[in-house]
Amino acid sequence: MRRVAVTGIGVVCPLGRSADEVFETARAGRSAVHKLAFPGSHRLLAPLAATVQFDAAEHFDPARLRLLDRVSHFAVVAAERAFADAACELTPAERERAGVFVGTAMGGSQSTDDAYQTLYGEQSNRIKPMQILQGMYNAPAAWIGIQHGLLGPNLTYSTACSSSGVAIGEAWLRIAHGMLDVAIAGGSEAPLSLGSLKGWEAMHTQANVDAADPATSCKPFSKNRSGMVLGEGAALVVLEPWERALARGATIHGELIGYGLSTDVGHITRPGVDGQAAAISAALASAGISADEIDAINAHGTGTQANDSVETAAIKRVFGARAVRIPISATKAIHGHLLGATGALEFVLSLLALKNNLALPTMHLQIPDPECDLDYVPNVARVGAAGRTMLSNSFAFGGTNAVLALRAA
Amino acid sequence: MTTAKRIRAILVNNYSLNPDDLTPDARLDDLGIDSLGMAELLFTIEDEFSVVLASEPIDLATFADVVELIDGLLAGKSEGAMAEQNSHPAARPLVVTSDGAQLAS
Repeated sequence: MRRVAVTGIGVVCPLGRSADEVFETARAGRSAVHKLAFPGSHRLLAPLAATVQFDAAEHFDPARLRLLDRVSHFAVVAAERAFADAACELTPAERERAGVFVGTAMGGSQSTDDAYQTLYGEQSNRIKPMQILQGMYNAPAAWIGIQHGLLGPNLTYSTACSSSGVAIGEAWLRIAHGMLDVAIAGGSEAPLSLGSLKGWEAMHTQANVDAADPATSCKPFSKNRSGMVLGEGAALVVLEPWERALARGATIHGELIGYGLSTDVGHITRPGVDGQAAAISAALASAGISADEIDAINAHGTGTQANDSVETAAIKRVFGARAVRIPISATKAIHGHLLGATGALEFVLSLLALKNNLALPTMHLQIPDPECDLDYVPNVARVGAAGRTMLSNSFAFGGTNAVLALRAA
Repeated sequence: MTTAKRIRAILVNNYSLNPDDLTPDARLDDLGIDSLGMAELLFTIEDEFSVVLASEPIDLATFADVVELIDGLLAGKSEGAMAEQNSHPAARPLVVTSDGAQLAS
């Protein structure tokens, strides 16, 4: 097994345009959640989301702009930023051993929504010729591969909310086992069409609007939590063998040391303690470390009643009495739930937390819940608390639980 | 405005092309209009001229070819073309583009 370094970070997300910006926003606990205002948003019971300030026209020529859905716009720009950060020029031979691993839960859902509006709403029989190419789930990965000439595997993972945790983990496996020398891995999501938002609303998983301050509507681990808030964006990292990174003098942001997977089979949406604990244990085992070596955790922490209490129980199951002493951060409170991109964004936040040895705050945690009785770093960042080794949890509808283990460089 | 001017405006606005490059014998593939670009261009042209292209293959290599096709349609001379919008999907065009790709309905 080869050690795997993270040498590039690229983000297009509600918290900022660069790793530094994202970390500073998360450290300060500034929420990007706000009330939505677009044609049709009045039809939502809780019109909330964390959106990206992003003008795709600044990044693409008009023809390319029309050819890509927003989910691919995000992915391509995040990949450019990640490769620029990695300062990694690939030779033709290296490009044959470079792969793309992207998670997305909903693909080009905005384009699909638009096409259905044309077909069913407007009763037109003419759909734009690019709809299939915009909507297909593997478009974000494909465009990254095209843009950078990456000739190795080009894979898309769609395991709902763990998609990009899976993508990063699968890339790690291939690099660790010598099958690839460079991977760009992470996720992208643009789920804020009316059709998608109404679908999530119908699931009764969405947070109510906090009337006093909509930005605080998502309240992970707080007794008064009422659900999640959707977000959008992309986060991608460049992975390469540790020795390769050292040899070329790359800046190493951190080390990916393990990846655990498990599946809940009891229910399509209800999370399970057994499955979540199994994924955490699998990540520890693959990293070859004991539970005692984990200094901090970035929780899945969606802000739903079900997830947060089950995740708390799963952490207790694995870490026993020591669980109460592990700082746990739930950053979805401020960046929202990016679905297929959320695992990657939280992996990036975990890397930055380790790099700065600072546990990020769980914002809007106002009322303690007896069922959520661990240390969630409530509302204020804690300097010196991230330590050296962290876990980043991603759990999903459909039952795919993915946990990444990472260590400071 | 003539057909050529209207199509030229579409190409300049939607594909960031230089008007000076749009000579009658300019090849569309040389202008960067590949098979996907052609499908989109024809969709836009259908809207612009309120026409629906025929379902048989059409070989459009140059700017002049496109202009000629549309002029023919507008004059009601082109076989197999129907000048009505929102026809049945079966009437969507099958186009053989200059890069050899075939785009079926």
